[in-house]
Amino acid sequence: MKRAFFPGCMIQVRYPQMEAAVRKTVPALGIELVDLPGLGCCPDPVFFKSLYKLDWLVLAARNLAVAEEAGLDFVTICSGCTETLAEAAHLLNEGTELLEDVNRRLKKIGKEYKGTVKTNHLITILRDEVGPENVHASVTHPLTGIRVAVHYGCHLLKPRAIMQVDDPDNPTVFEDMLRAIGAEPVEHVDRILCCGKSCRDCELPEEMTKTVLNSINDANVDLMGVICPSCFDSFDIGQIRVSKKFGLDFTIPPVYYFQMLALAQGLAPQEVGLDKHKLKPVKLLERYGAVGQA
Amino acid sequence: MASGKPIKLDHRFRDELGLVLEGDGVNYCYQCGACVGDCPTARFDESFNPRNIMLAVLYGMKDEIASSTSPIWQCSNCFTCFDRCPQDVKPVEVICALKNLMAREGIVPDGVEQMAHGVVKTGRSVLITKLSERRRAELGLPDLQDVPVDEIRTLLEGSEAMGKDGKGETS
Repeated sequence: MKRAFFPGCMIQVRYPQMEAAVRKTVPALGIELVDLPGLGCCPDPVFFKSLYKLDWLVLAARNLAVAEEAGLDFVTICSGCTETLAEAAHLLNEGTELLEDVNRRLKKIGKEYKGTVKTNHLITILRDEVGPENVHASVTHPLTGIRVAVHYGCHLLKPRAIMQVDDPDNPTVFEDMLRAIGAEPVEHVDRILCCGKSCRDCELPEEMTKTVLNSINDANVDLMGVICPSCFDSFDIGQIRVSKKFGLDFTIPPVYYFQMLALAQGLAPQEVGLDKHKLKPVKLLERYGAVGQA
Repeated sequence: MASGKPIKLDHRFRDELGLVLEGDGVNYCYQCGACVGDCPTARFDESFNPRNIMLAVLYGMKDEIASSTSPIWQCSNCFTCFDRCPQDVKPVEVICALKNLMAREGIVPDGVEQMAHGVVKTGRSVLITKLSERRRAELGLPDLQDVPVDEIRTLLEGSEAMGKDGKGETS
C-alpha cells in the first residue's frame, strides 16, 4: 500500500524520533511512504486557524492538491495535521462557493483541489487497512507485561463526524493496537481528557496536564502512550514543569505508539531515540536495551 | 460579565461575525448548554462557559467578548462542543471566528502571531535548528525538504495573513 507521507512540522523538527519510528516500522506492515516534494505546514488547527481561517483553508487545500496530483492519499502521524487536512477537505467538499473561492486562489500557483484525496492517521490505517493480525505478525519481541496508560488527545477523534475514526467518548483503536504488539493497555479515569496544550493562559494547561498525570499515577503503569507530538510535549517537558510547580514527583514516561511498535519489531531503543527522552521509559530500556546490539 | 456598568449592545455584531467562515452558526444556538458539561476548559476554569460566550454574541456584547480580557483564548480546541451541540452551532468554530475578528483588530495574545507568521515566512510552524538537523542525521532520517515559500506567499498575497505591510511580518 502506497501513501503520501505527511510527517508535519513538529515531528520533523522537534521530535524526529517519532518520524524515525514510523519510517522504520511501516515496511514490515506493507506500507510504502512516498515523500512528495512541495508540502508545507498543514497549517496547525489551533493558532494559524484562529487568526486567519480562510488562509488556513487555502494552505491546507494546497497540501491536499499536492497529494491529488500524485494520485495518493495522505498518511499523517500527528493528530493536529490529521485534523486540519480532514477538516479542510470536509469544508471544501461541502461548500461549492467556498471551493470556488479557494480554487480561484490555488489557480494562481497552477493548482486545483478536486476532492479526491483522503487523510488518515497511521494508527487508523493499522487498524483498518493493515489489520491487527498483520501488526501482530510483524512482532518479534512483544511488549508482554508492559502496562500502558493511553492518552488519546483530541484531534485524532474529534470532530467525530469529520474524523470518523472511533467513538470519541469510548475509543478503542489505541488499546487494540497496543494489544496487537503484546502490551497491556490500562484503563484510567481521565483517558480522554485534553492535554491542555491549546489554552493560552499557562495555569489552565498545567491543571489539565496534572489531572491526566494524577489519573495515570493511580493506575500504576510503566508508561503512557501517545500518538500526537503536541500531547507528547505536554507530558514530556510539561510533566517536568508541572512536577516542579506543584511539588509533585511525576515520573511517567510518555512514549509514542510507533516507538513501542519499533521495539516490538526488534529495533533497539536508540534507533527510535528512546534513550534521549527526558523522562526515560526505564522498563522498556531495561528490557530492550540489548536488542540489536548483540 | 456581571458588573455595575451599563453594557453596550451591538446588534450588528452577529452579522459581522457571520462574515467569518462558520461564524454564523451561533444564530442557531438555543442555549441548551450541551456544550458546557464536557468542556475541559469549563471544568477547570469557571469563567469559561461556551454557552455564555454564545449568548454574549447573540446579545451583541462585542466589548465584553471581543476584548483583550475575553476568555475565548482559553478554549482548548478539543471539539467536544462541536460533537455535543444538537443545533450544529459548532461553538468552537464560533469562538475561532471571534478570534479571527479580534485578529483583524490587532487583539492577539503574545506568541500566537509569531507562530502564524513562521508559517508565512518559512512554510513551517516550527523553525529548523542545527540541533534538529543533527538529531535527524543521528536517527538516519533524510534531510528536510524545502517548502515552496514562494507559492505560499503568492497564495496569501493581499490576504490578512500577510499583514498590513504585505510581508507577513509580525506587527
